[in-house]
Amino acid sequence: MTVRAARRSAKPSESREHVAIQPPPETQLPAIQQNGERSAAARFRIFIVDSGWNSAARRVLHENFALIRDLQKDDPIYVLSREKSVDFMRRHGSRIGRDPIIAVHDMQALIKGGTSGFHGFRLSLGLLRTPEQALMGLQAFARFLVEHRHSSDLEADIRTRLRREGFAGAIEIAMHHEAREIGE
Amino acid sequence: MFDRVTEVISLVLGALAIGYLVYEIDRRQRKLHDIWDVLDGEDALITDSLEDMVESGELRPFAGAALA
Repeated sequence: MTVRAARRSAKPSESREHVAIQPPPETQLPAIQQNGERSAAARFRIFIVDSGWNSAARRVLHENFALIRDLQKDDPIYVLSREKSVDFMRRHGSRIGRDPIIAVHDMQALIKGGTSGFHGFRLSLGLLRTPEQALMGLQAFARFLVEHRHSSDLEADIRTRLRREGFAGAIEIAMHHEAREIGE
Repeated sequence: MFDRVTEVISLVLGALAIGYLVYEIDRRQRKLHDIWDVLDGEDALITDSLEDMVESGELRPFAGAALA
């Protein structure tokens, strides 16, 4: 069964607004197409949405994308074209100005629980205004993915980290402090 | 009398400092949650549309060297 089939197997025929999709529990994680080859190891699907704002975050992403790709070579990265990204933003207006957005779908969670519960995370890189902040955000993102790609419960990892390290404040504060250090 | 005034001022300043700290931590937490956020049921529609694009072949894994 494909991921689509898994996600849609319990999908009602009416509007998809606010629909919680629950796939059957027996669904197995399928192999994922990557550069023409089948890869059973892909834990994540990474999506980059960038409508093209002339921002520091966009420049940092472009300058470091090759390295990100090398670090995440086990997982496919899908880059939406400018046209698709703009179309995406038109449909989801609340995201405008937050891009580049990097959305990470945890395929293990998606297959297990569908889209009704936790199924990944998102980095709104465009909200980081300085190049230093954007670079630190990108590095934190890459580090988190590498460290947790074999996690059996990614959500718990994220929430534990949020609590234990004050994920919310800690990264923010660290980014500000280190950004200042770099900038000085 | 003077000691009493000093004590009250110290208390007020201390309360203001604690209040500011709480406000600042809360502000930073909100901002960080804006930047890093988990995907859950509220994002189902967006996740579905992206996954559909992959499943339909509309989106392919990036194979180039650099972003255009």
